[in-house]
Amino acid sequence: MRFLRKGRPGGEPTKIFYASDIHGSEPTYRKFLNAARFYEVDALVFGGDLMGKLLIPIVRDAGGTFRARLQGQDHHITSEEEMVAFKRALQTLGFYWREMDPEEYRTYEGDQERIDGLFDVLAAERLREWVALAEERLAGTHARVYLCGGNDDTDVVLSAIDQEAQDRVVNAENRVVPLDDEHVLVTVGYSTPTPWSTPRERTDDELKVIIEDLLRDIEDPSRAVFNFHCPPLDSGLDTCLKLDASVWPPTPVLERGQPVHYGAGSQAVADALTAYQPTVGLHGHIHESRGIATYGRTPAYNPGSEYGEGVLRGLIVAIRGGEVLGHQFTSG
Amino acid sequence: MAEATAPQVFTRRASGLVRVMSPYSAFVYNILTMGIIFPWTFIWAPTALQGSNLILGIIFAFLFELPIALAYVWLATALPRSGGDYVFQSRVFGGGFGFTVVFAFFVVWILQWVALSGWLLAVLGIAPTFIGLGVTTGTQVFTDIGSWAASTSGIIIISIANALVSLVLLVSGFRNYVRFQYVMWYAILVAFGIVLLLFFTTTPSAAAAKLDAFVGSVDGVQGFFATARSAAEAAGVNFNPPFWLFGTLLVAPIAWTSLQWATYSSEQGGEIKNAHVFRQQVFIMVGALAVTASLLILLALAMQKGIGQEGILIASSGYWLGVPEATIGGNFMFPNLMAMAFTSSPIIVLLIGLGFILNSFQIVCNCYIGTTRIMVAMGLDGLLPDWFAKVHPRWKTPVNAHVAYFIGAIPVILGFNLVPEWTRWTLGVTFANGAVMTLSALAAALLPYRAAKLYEASPGAVYKVGNVPLVTIVGIAGFVFGALMVGAFLFRPELGLAYTADSLPYLIVLGTALLGIIVYAVMRQYRASQGLKVEYAFAEIPPE
Repeated sequence: MRFLRKGRPGGEPTKIFYASDIHGSEPTYRKFLNAARFYEVDALVFGGDLMGKLLIPIVRDAGGTFRARLQGQDHHITSEEEMVAFKRALQTLGFYWREMDPEEYRTYEGDQERIDGLFDVLAAERLREWVALAEERLAGTHARVYLCGGNDDTDVVLSAIDQEAQDRVVNAENRVVPLDDEHVLVTVGYSTPTPWSTPRERTDDELKVIIEDLLRDIEDPSRAVFNFHCPPLDSGLDTCLKLDASVWPPTPVLERGQPVHYGAGSQAVADALTAYQPTVGLHGHIHESRGIATYGRTPAYNPGSEYGEGVLRGLIVAIRGGEVLGHQFTSG
Repeated sequence: MAEATAPQVFTRRASGLVRVMSPYSAFVYNILTMGIIFPWTFIWAPTALQGSNLILGIIFAFLFELPIALAYVWLATALPRSGGDYVFQSRVFGGGFGFTVVFAFFVVWILQWVALSGWLLAVLGIAPTFIGLGVTTGTQVFTDIGSWAASTSGIIIISIANALVSLVLLVSGFRNYVRFQYVMWYAILVAFGIVLLLFFTTTPSAAAAKLDAFVGSVDGVQGFFATARSAAEAAGVNFNPPFWLFGTLLVAPIAWTSLQWATYSSEQGGEIKNAHVFRQQVFIMVGALAVTASLLILLALAMQKGIGQEGILIASSGYWLGVPEATIGGNFMFPNLMAMAFTSSPIIVLLIGLGFILNSFQIVCNCYIGTTRIMVAMGLDGLLPDWFAKVHPRWKTPVNAHVAYFIGAIPVILGFNLVPEWTRWTLGVTFANGAVMTLSALAAALLPYRAAKLYEASPGAVYKVGNVPLVTIVGIAGFVFGALMVGAFLFRPELGLAYTADSLPYLIVLGTALLGIIVYAVMRQYRASQGLKVEYAFAEIPPE
């Protein structure tokens, strides 16, 4: 019998491992799942952006060999071993691939709609495998994994979470779900508009409505953990280069020859942290802006992301009774 | 589809990461960090290692540093993030080791460079500029300003102001620094070019006459060159020494005190565009190394042409042997000061002076930039208090780390200039900084084995000799060369800690290492009290 329950004042703290923006990287996701045992935490909270950004066509060539292009270099794949190594590199980088004949490749050239469709198919396939893997890896433990999308993910792909989730995986997307005996997890995966016009962007006013709708039924917001993909505006967790969205791909805005930095976060998120004073704010989205900010009593974190190198940037945070006891950034 | 044409990559609308510092800026940053304008080698080696060949020594230093710089290329492309050596060593050797080495031997010891850059600004920038202007324009007030700048109080005030102005510039935004770096770069190139030209267009006899006239105006000394020569000879300088090969090899560690900074941009890898691209890092680090070594060789050739071996030995005796007759206005005969004596134009004097002033300022900026990035990384890893890691929401810079480093530099500036024994106590600076870089070369050698997944995902993984990763070969070579040079700093009296028989300099090095261990132990204990382990900051999670 537990007199002092998990997360309650005087009881054992709940330890959360948070990571975000892994963008399809297989080894990074596998590390994320293993973080439960490795860091001895109670909950794995993912902050959005599950989908990869690039798809590499591996095109059949004469004589049973293949050609592909990766990181600006042409690759001529001539053996099964080379193919395995090549695909392993793609997995680390978070890229999708498809072996195809030259005829099939030509059907995609210049047809962005078809390319986006292929992305969705391959990303959903990978996400289903990931959810199944999480169920398998966390079976027999008390830890749960809370998944959600970010601005770069498509709704079609995210539906795979609900399709595969069973006992250990929780679809946290735009929901309030219990985290322990004391705290709830409130998740919003959208971001404010970006120069990249990504699939799931909302204006600040729309974000405000989404957040307030979610928080309406929460009895004690101070016991809530905010898992908002988009960091608060001008918090230091959202600093990135200002980009000119009138060209593709967007290019840095220069002032007197120098690039301009700005805060790309959300005012609605900053206002929510200030007004509701939750236990903690967990944020991602801006990979290069790892850090800590404070809103009254509430600390907000962005652990950053280096998924492309197979590195899992994360954060362990220990909470109890609506307070953060301590935190530790990780680089695993 | 033609067989030779590879298919293109498919993309979708997704956000991307963009970085601020161009590879060219990083390349310039490394060259400026090496301080081409303050070539210690020229006033240190000739009399400390009589019979050595300066140019050959610089070539040896280049060859020894080359594998170290290449090892950094692998590290910087595998781990293109801010924090550089701390990140590399923590990842390969573990957090406790990486923290202790980099905190003690970089963060603490680079405070000495803040003090030194203030001294350089006052003594080799402002003082000679105003003394030169005083001589060329016949204005006493300039000479008086120059003399004040070289006085103890002048140096202290200028040093603190130097550190403060740099703090304000860097806190106001990194892009402001990057913008100003171009001003510094071109001003320094102009100054360096003028110095070269003045040496190349004079002869030893003409140079001696011009130095006589210049010193006559500054110090009122007649027949300066002959007097300085006699004094140097009396102090033990052999003006016709036989060639000494081992001495020439020992020039390499001295020249390395400049060339070792070819890789300093790795401390802010997270801010460099395309930092993960291999050939880009080759350009940034190896390119900067090659250009700087070439410029130093060019300067050596120019000095030999302009003042000859005799003049070089006299200049060196003022520094290494402490011959007062071989100084000008109390200043060591650095190439810039001699070049000022070769011209009668106040504009040329001003241009040379400006280059030196800006390079001194650039060095203090570099101290801040590198160490604050390291402190931020340590703060985020939980090994320094969180306060150090905070980034100002408006200026987007690590203000707290900058302020802490400025405050830390004040007692070092005071000690450096007020405590006569300070320089002797802190002889370990060359050893300490070199040790960090040598250990990073070893980290590169072990990267494929200690961080296999990370290495396999890096662009340098494709380079192998047989089955052996090329990074292991260059890393071992770099470690061996670095260890030899660091060993020379430890044991050769001409180079560093062994300059005096006193054990205190060694104990101070040990003390800083102990400080690193204590800070690590305290922070580890503090995090444990929160139910957390600092080891988690570095431990790689197995994906399977």
